[in-house]
Amino acid sequence: MHPLQDVQKPGVEGTKTIQVRVNGQIYKREVPIRMLLVDFLREELGLTGTHVGCSVEGRCGACTIVLNGNNVKSCLLLAVQADGADILTVEGLGEPDNLHPIQEGFWEKHGLQCGYCTPGMMMSVYNLLKVNPHPSVAEIREALVGNICRCTGYEHIIEAVQYAADRIAAMPKEERDKLFSY
Amino acid sequence: MTTVSETKWVGRAIRRREDPRLLAGKGKYIGDITLPGTTYVHLVRSTHAHARIRNIDTTKAENYPGVVAVVTGEEVAAAMKPMLVPSIIPRLGGELQIPTVYPLAIDKVLWVGDPIVAIIAENKYIAEDAAQLVEIEYEPLPVLEDPEEALKSDSPKIHEDWKSNVLWHGELGDGDVEKAFREADYILSERFYGHRTGCAPLETRGAVASYDDFTGLTLYINSQRPHILRMALSQILNIPHDKVRVIAPKDVGGAFGTKAPIYREDLLICYLAMKLKRPVKWIENRMESLMTIGQERDQIHYLELAVRKDGKILGLRDRIIADVGDGRTGVYLGFVMPWLGAAYLTNAFDIPNVHIDLSCVVTNKPCLSPSRAFGEFPARFAMDYALHLVARELNLDPRDVFEKNIIKKFPYVTATGITHDSGDYVGAFKTLLEALDYDRVKQEQKEARKNGRLIGVGFAMGAEMSGIGSQVFVAMENQPGYGSATVKIDTHGMVQVLEGDSPQGQGHETTIAQAVADELGVNIDDIYISYGDTFATPFASGTLGNRGASYTVSAAVLACRKLKTKIQKIAAYLLGIESDSEEFIFANREVIWKKDNSKRVSLDDIADVAIMAPTKLPPGMEAGLEATAYFEANIASMLSIGVHGAVVEVNPKTGDYKILRYVVVDDCGVPINPMLVRGQVHGGVVMGIGNTRYEKYIYDEAGQPLCTTLMEYHMPSAADVPDIEVIEYNVPTPYTPLGTKGKGEGVPGPVPATLASAITDAIDRPGFKLLNLPLTPESIWRALNEDK
Ligand code: FES
Ligand code: FES
Repeated sequence: MHPLQDVQKPGVEGTKTIQVRVNGQIYKREVPIRMLLVDFLREELGLTGTHVGCSVEGRCGACTIVLNGNNVKSCLLLAVQADGADILTVEGLGEPDNLHPIQEGFWEKHGLQCGYCTPGMMMSVYNLLKVNPHPSVAEIREALVGNICRCTGYEHIIEAVQYAADRIAAMPKEERDKLFSY
Repeated sequence: MTTVSETKWVGRAIRRREDPRLLAGKGKYIGDITLPGTTYVHLVRSTHAHARIRNIDTTKAENYPGVVAVVTGEEVAAAMKPMLVPSIIPRLGGELQIPTVYPLAIDKVLWVGDPIVAIIAENKYIAEDAAQLVEIEYEPLPVLEDPEEALKSDSPKIHEDWKSNVLWHGELGDGDVEKAFREADYILSERFYGHRTGCAPLETRGAVASYDDFTGLTLYINSQRPHILRMALSQILNIPHDKVRVIAPKDVGGAFGTKAPIYREDLLICYLAMKLKRPVKWIENRMESLMTIGQERDQIHYLELAVRKDGKILGLRDRIIADVGDGRTGVYLGFVMPWLGAAYLTNAFDIPNVHIDLSCVVTNKPCLSPSRAFGEFPARFAMDYALHLVARELNLDPRDVFEKNIIKKFPYVTATGITHDSGDYVGAFKTLLEALDYDRVKQEQKEARKNGRLIGVGFAMGAEMSGIGSQVFVAMENQPGYGSATVKIDTHGMVQVLEGDSPQGQGHETTIAQAVADELGVNIDDIYISYGDTFATPFASGTLGNRGASYTVSAAVLACRKLKTKIQKIAAYLLGIESDSEEFIFANREVIWKKDNSKRVSLDDIADVAIMAPTKLPPGMEAGLEATAYFEANIASMLSIGVHGAVVEVNPKTGDYKILRYVVVDDCGVPINPMLVRGQVHGGVVMGIGNTRYEKYIYDEAGQPLCTTLMEYHMPSAADVPDIEVIEYNVPTPYTPLGTKGKGEGVPGPVPATLASAITDAIDRPGFKLLNLPLTPESIWRALNEDK
């Protein structure tokens, strides 16, 4: 099929009420059934930290979030599919005066330039460090294949992840667990 | 007391000031800007590469619920001048044919993706739905995909009123080329091809426009050049300049050149806002983006080198054919990039006799748009890889061939008229070889070969532009090259810097502040940087071409120095001392008399006097503390060197190769923030590796693009690329106040020659060469099996 004829069928109508928990806060909203989850987060909830970098192909990773503990590309889900879900977006990762060690790592090691990939990238790092507190460079590179960064060449991102891993490893267990409650 | 050196900010790898908001997900990108009452645009684009439009039926789309308007080409064209107004047409001599351009196609389409109809709707879902209901009848025309075909006199004309398909033709060079070739011991003659690829950023283009009769047009757009765009909009749309305000968002998700042109959509969105008197928002989707922007390179070089038997290049002849696509994208018209590639072809080498013949040919593809290493990517490949081929042919060590030809005396003007300001290119080159441990690698190569492993080492030079002064830039793009900045000290003693450029990730809020903090002796947190709004910032030609650290930072420094003269006069007056200005030190937010450092005034007190209590100023002195400076280097252009080297291992069965090491020796004069410089180099190399190995815009014979998703256009992920080692080798330039030069723009340039030479060295088979990019396992496998 020709790329320009990649049609969405016109006339997909109807709405549905969904309830989600995003960054600890419960939202109940009536949404069009065909609304993408990424649009729901950005446009309905105003959480514009989750970005869009490709045409709903799930390749760029800018829209990556944590949903029920898993990394998902929020451009590949409909908002209605997230009904009942527990979601973490970049806005819930840390507070400006209490950054998550992942954010600190990116800041300290210059893991971002334009910052467009960064929220999604950090969401993938979150799930990596949750299961693998001491990843090797190769493991970091593998874990980030779903997130394209066009600016940094990844070198500083890897340093950022290592920095975060070290910081987290130095923390008492309860604190560590709090960092990864999603 | 803190000494001046302790408070120095320039040269420190501090973390960036823009990062907290970006890390918190609070960046403000174009997609995040929505005004009350916004309508959304979706474009219907051509499915044919070359066709006449027989009929457009928009009735169904118009009647679709939620559609606000459906607009076609003639209506838009009637409201404006043809887009290529004289002020945005380059004047590079040669012969130029200028296409007529309007935002939407009128009766003909020239490439797949050419915009034809705009649907404006209450939300983007509806706009996309309605776009599917537009019916367009086409009458296909012969498609020209190959620039060498398009050059033939009997091939159909893409722009029917032109005398040929050549958008620009011209010659560059100097010296006695004939003589050089007569005297040569050896002549290398090869056809090199650098494919169509480029620098698609992660954030696509986007624009939000609004209009009312009183304030006029406001356009938010992720442009690299808001001031140039504003000027062009006013001229094309016939709106007084004071009624056009262009604002680049605080945050832009990368650009790399692709957001520098004046695109047809920019004008369209403005027109729609004016027509509807409602805000209009357009965010390019990835498919449109891959079909429209970031396509660059695409040059064929018929390169000849006249060589003495010791490897010295006596002369160079090149016939370059660039495939510029439809040639309709404003400012650059697709040909400024190949022109610059030709002008910089001789790279870091001293080649006195040069003749280059460049033809920029239109085809049924999208217009080339600038991409980092502007025009130089294929040129660097041809030039530097050719030097390696020369070494192989003459049985010389490529290291000696390079060293013999590298520019040694500065300033140096190339035969094509490019000025290299200063540096130590040989020193940087030698540092690379040391870092690579060249001799040991060559030794290991022999050992490995015995075990059937093919290891190779390669290298290339990259002399990248570092801003271009007005002397060159006015001709090149009809725009000034100076850097500009305004520095204001406010009522609270805080320092505001306004720049007319608009960064896209380069970190201006950090680097400019580092330079200003040193000048004024303040803390970096006392400084805030404003940019992007053309109503509030001085005119500037934009964030591109490595202008930031060389030109814009220098302008900010000069503006500080202007202010310091005044501040010192005020300080002397308040302290009651007879003093020439220039007798004070600025440190710790204080102005301290050098002769007696107990005599000091705080900057806050001076700001208070100058702004809030002007009665206390020296008699006759004007109130206020602000200055604007325009910096022009006292030299035509500056360049900064980057020397790349790689060690690779090739699998001769599959053609696959692994980069075992990638090293860059880098000079940027004085690094303002070395961590940011390293980041630029890493990113540039990886983009270069992407362009060399993974990325290619492929078209079939019918002109259909085959890479319209990121699955097909493979930008490298973290797992696709090696670690990049960066070694600083900085030589301050005498031509900027701090010795700084820009870095980042040209970094991808040396990558293909570096990898090609390393792979060739690994294969090490007589006659084996890699003349065509990209360097994929397949292309290497083919080259291996061709010469068997
Ligand atoms: S937007 Fe690219 S993966 Fe979702
Ligand atoms: S920082 Fe720009 S895409 Fe990653």
